[in-house]
Amino acid sequence: MRDLFAVVDASSRDNFEKLTLHRMPGALPFAGKFRLIDFTLSNLKHAHVTNVAIFPSGNYRSLQDHIGSGKRWHLDRRRDGLFILPPKNMMLPLGDMLTFQRMHEHIEYFRRSTQKYVLITQASLVWNVDFQAMLDAHVASQADISEVMTPYSRLKTFILSKDLLLKYILDYDALPYKTMNDLVWRSPKVRVNTITHEGYTRLIDEPSVYLRANLDMLAFEIGSTIFRNDRPIVSKEKTAPPARYSDASTVTNSMVSSGSYIRGHIEKSIIGRDVIIKEGAHVKNSFVMNNAVVERGAVLDHVILDKDTVVKADTIVEGTIDSPYVTEKGQIITDQSDLRVLIVASEANPYVKTGGLADVIEGLSRALSKKGVDTNVVIPLYKSIKDNYAETYQYVASETFDFGGEPRKIRIYTLLREKVRYYFIEYFPFFEREETYGYEDDCLRFAFFNYAVYQSFKHIGPFDLLHLNDWHTGLLPGLMQKSEDRIPTLLTIHNIDYQGQCDASLLHESRPNALIPTVNFLETGISEASKLSTVSETYRDELRYDYYGGSLTPLLLKRERDFHGVLNGLPKKYSPVNDPNVFSPYDRQSIGKKSENKLHLQEKMQLSLGVEKFTLGMVSRITEQKGFPILIPALSTMLERYKALQFVLLGSGEDRYIESLRELEKAHPGRVRLNIGFDAANPAHIYAGADAFLMPSRVEPCGLSQMIAMRYGTPPIARKTGGLADSIVDYDPITRYGTGFTFFNYDAEALAARIDDAYKVFHEHKDEWRRIMDAGMRADFSIERQAQKMLEIYQSMV
Amino acid sequence: MKAKAIAMVLVGGRGTRLQPITRRMAKPAVSFGGKYKLIDFVLSNLTNAAIDTVGVITQYEPHSLMDYIEHGSTWDLDLPDGGIHFLTPYTSYEGDVWQKGTAHAIRQHMRFIRSHDPEYVLILSGDHIYKMDYNHLIDVHAESGADFTISAFSPHDSLSRYGVLNVDDDNRVRDFEEKPKKPEGHYASMGVYVFNTEALKRILTDSLEEGFDFGKDIIPRALDEGYTINAYHFDGYFRDVGTIESLFEANMDLIDHPELLKLHDYKELPVYTRSSDLPPHHITTKEPLADVLIGDGCLVSGKIRRSILSNGVVVKDGAHVENSVLFQGATIGEGAVLKNAMILEDTLVMPGTELVYDEVEVIDNDRLWKLGGDGDA
Repeated sequence: MRDLFAVVDASSRDNFEKLTLHRMPGALPFAGKFRLIDFTLSNLKHAHVTNVAIFPSGNYRSLQDHIGSGKRWHLDRRRDGLFILPPKNMMLPLGDMLTFQRMHEHIEYFRRSTQKYVLITQASLVWNVDFQAMLDAHVASQADISEVMTPYSRLKTFILSKDLLLKYILDYDALPYKTMNDLVWRSPKVRVNTITHEGYTRLIDEPSVYLRANLDMLAFEIGSTIFRNDRPIVSKEKTAPPARYSDASTVTNSMVSSGSYIRGHIEKSIIGRDVIIKEGAHVKNSFVMNNAVVERGAVLDHVILDKDTVVKADTIVEGTIDSPYVTEKGQIITDQSDLRVLIVASEANPYVKTGGLADVIEGLSRALSKKGVDTNVVIPLYKSIKDNYAETYQYVASETFDFGGEPRKIRIYTLLREKVRYYFIEYFPFFEREETYGYEDDCLRFAFFNYAVYQSFKHIGPFDLLHLNDWHTGLLPGLMQKSEDRIPTLLTIHNIDYQGQCDASLLHESRPNALIPTVNFLETGISEASKLSTVSETYRDELRYDYYGGSLTPLLLKRERDFHGVLNGLPKKYSPVNDPNVFSPYDRQSIGKKSENKLHLQEKMQLSLGVEKFTLGMVSRITEQKGFPILIPALSTMLERYKALQFVLLGSGEDRYIESLRELEKAHPGRVRLNIGFDAANPAHIYAGADAFLMPSRVEPCGLSQMIAMRYGTPPIARKTGGLADSIVDYDPITRYGTGFTFFNYDAEALAARIDDAYKVFHEHKDEWRRIMDAGMRADFSIERQAQKMLEIYQSMV
Repeated sequence: MKAKAIAMVLVGGRGTRLQPITRRMAKPAVSFGGKYKLIDFVLSNLTNAAIDTVGVITQYEPHSLMDYIEHGSTWDLDLPDGGIHFLTPYTSYEGDVWQKGTAHAIRQHMRFIRSHDPEYVLILSGDHIYKMDYNHLIDVHAESGADFTISAFSPHDSLSRYGVLNVDDDNRVRDFEEKPKKPEGHYASMGVYVFNTEALKRILTDSLEEGFDFGKDIIPRALDEGYTINAYHFDGYFRDVGTIESLFEANMDLIDHPELLKLHDYKELPVYTRSSDLPPHHITTKEPLADVLIGDGCLVSGKIRRSILSNGVVVKDGAHVENSVLFQGATIGEGAVLKNAMILEDTLVMPGTELVYDEVEVIDNDRLWKLGGDGDA
């Protein structure tokens, strides 16, 4: 086409974890022999578009390899052709969509393109469309911008004139919108036309959508509209002989690619090239990529088996359609039933708890145990545990070893709780104290704990894997590396702000060769552990920037390929129908009762009563990290603007913020209430009683409050960072779908604008507000899901 | 740069005994093994050996073959210098140069050979099924000091179909007879030769008036004239499928003896073929599949045993296919029964049709039309 060129956005952040470790989403295999980007490139080819720019990010080698010169899509041109335009400023964080700023980095490309119109679309869309017809529709509409959508979802696909796009790009730093998505949504000035594409379309942005879309190809009425003779999907040319079936095979409703050899059973699955399925193996509801081998008797159900993976004989690998089991490229998966894991932490519920870590350890270990993993937890035997649980645990053994130049004797105790084996390590001088942490010799105490765990292996071992948590366990990876059996170690970073940094002289005797004056436990652990994880995928990505990762960023970047993000799960006890602290229990069916909780909250907090009020709740530590510097001005603006707005806060923290909040409380009697000190009221009253929940955090590695709020039908208004970005689906007025309201820029205006949006939906579109509440209550934040992801990492290590 | 070796590939064979398959295409364009055309084997052998200057000498029905090969990019032979050249018959002021035989065809394109001035010329046929390392052949030839080398094999069938070599202990060819009634010797010529360029020029200039074929004319005379001819013993799988039966057998070899051609074990010597732009095949029901090869884009819901389904084949519910080879785009209707059938490209077998034979039969739309007519009568 003479008058259209295309910008293919392959830069958006994804949620694919391991699948995109070695490739970008656009390069993900699809339906056996294709890659996601083949669909968009083939659509462009059929529309005779000959000027295409791809904006990649991250590892685009495999994309480059796949596309080559673009010849297969007729893009190896003397004039125009294919351009791959990588990011220049690597410090710009990835967003939802290609930003005008990123386009500006390649402004020359846009200036030189001679076509009158530009199509902006995505590299990971599965569809078969006629772009020519879309351009005609756009021109006929006389709108500024046409947005291409399905009846249910946005596709980040737009058509506009090059001149208009150029204007936005050149103006990127002054424009209040960063992307086309933002612009179409928020700008009051542009005339937007919607082109609705009715045919099968999926924007592939996470593993469950990816697996589902693959399996959708098995439905004839879908597959035949995607793979059609008049507009075939063109891919890189590959060579493989026809697939081969032995007389032992059975196949039901499956797609199988060339070169594969099937001797086992396949049901409702997609099999890539050169896959071997051996006798007696069962593959169900799965996508098996190129060169994978499934050995005799193995069973796969809802699995995404990445390239070159080997599933050993008789191994059972299971996921669900919402949370498929995903392997890592080249992984060897063995039977998990005899996997023996030791989780090492400084605290675990119910024995000792100072923060969220204790809950995570308890929930995760129980869920792992349910999955058949032999799960063990070891923590120090603090005084409080002795005081409360002395009758429940039993003596295992004692061990004497040298630490700091003198012999030390530890005793090991154990108990079994809900199929999880707990071990406690007793050593009076370090752990027989009133508090858990906060002593001057904390470093020494936990250095000792690391050595003690190591020394206890002869009594409680052997283990296949150690799962370590935070700085308190940071020396174990190094100890394991030096030991003979070299057990693999996974170190999970829950909180990077606490690193266990101390003067080396403190440990001098235990580390006689230390040349560096300080020891940083977390840093040591990060550099020595076999694999790393943190508590959300977005936070993992954020740690690439020293704004978040601080001095550890360079080290984390170095360990990037071994660094995973797994969102923490929410324990089942958080449930508005079972929570004893909820005034009037309710569930999705009886959501009407939520207003009783609201009135109860208002009454209890001495707010003016009324269901028509828009009550914002917050349960938080009052610190800078939690976003109070932007919250206070935003609240004061919004309280002025809307008389029906209320704010209630439960928390404790820094005086400078509490003072400003007190002033707000004074200025807006009956509308702002503070409960300072965590005991003042029950958080459940706020989760159940508020209309929306505020979390404008600057940094939030995972966060549980937003998940609780959603489960209690209280949509969060939150900053798009860390676990908040991974758990909240931003409400989009165009598709009318979302589970909360998020904003990206850390400033008061952005927060105020989102409160404003929420306020308007709450008052003007009650049905939609209900839908947002309902979508949040249905969202899956289960610990099972977290445990499965952990298990996937475990299995890639042993 | 002067090429060490270039290849001349003869693709003019009419494949008379492969009618009706070859009615509209040259023999090298005949489909094989569900995904391939015969020409794929030679072109893949060439690219695997990094011999990248290839003259493809066409004559009979060249269009489908030229369409298929295109610029040769499938075999990485689309190169600015070298690559694939189609050498077509032409008329010059010397008179009509319609090819009269294999040697005549090569001689006609001597100018092409001279322009590349290689040390060796490899002469190949475009319709053989085999995987071979040509570099080894050339190395052995170079070491032998012979004027040219004939690649030879031990046929699984009668020697009298081939040119038969009598070879001494030093691998020198002592005697050669084309399609002898009573063959003497063990080796048959594969029709694969490597010539020192100088020797090729001499032989072809000297002797053209008296004969046009390498086997029938050139080799016997070269022996008489004292050229040294070496034999290279190839012990891999080799088939020159001249008849319907042998084509069918070679297809079935892929199922019964996958170890022979090693198509699935292709990392070292892959056989490249044009990509189909079809999705993977889709098997919709739980009918048993046993000993089956299936290409891309097929839609299969019937019951299939010991058969090959080429790209884009459709086998509908209740159909039963056994011992058959289905070429690209064939459709087998509901409940049809096939045994020992070779169904040609785009043939539509109507529901309920029975095509059950004891010996392999070739079926195309014309044949079905006639069968249908007979049935009505």
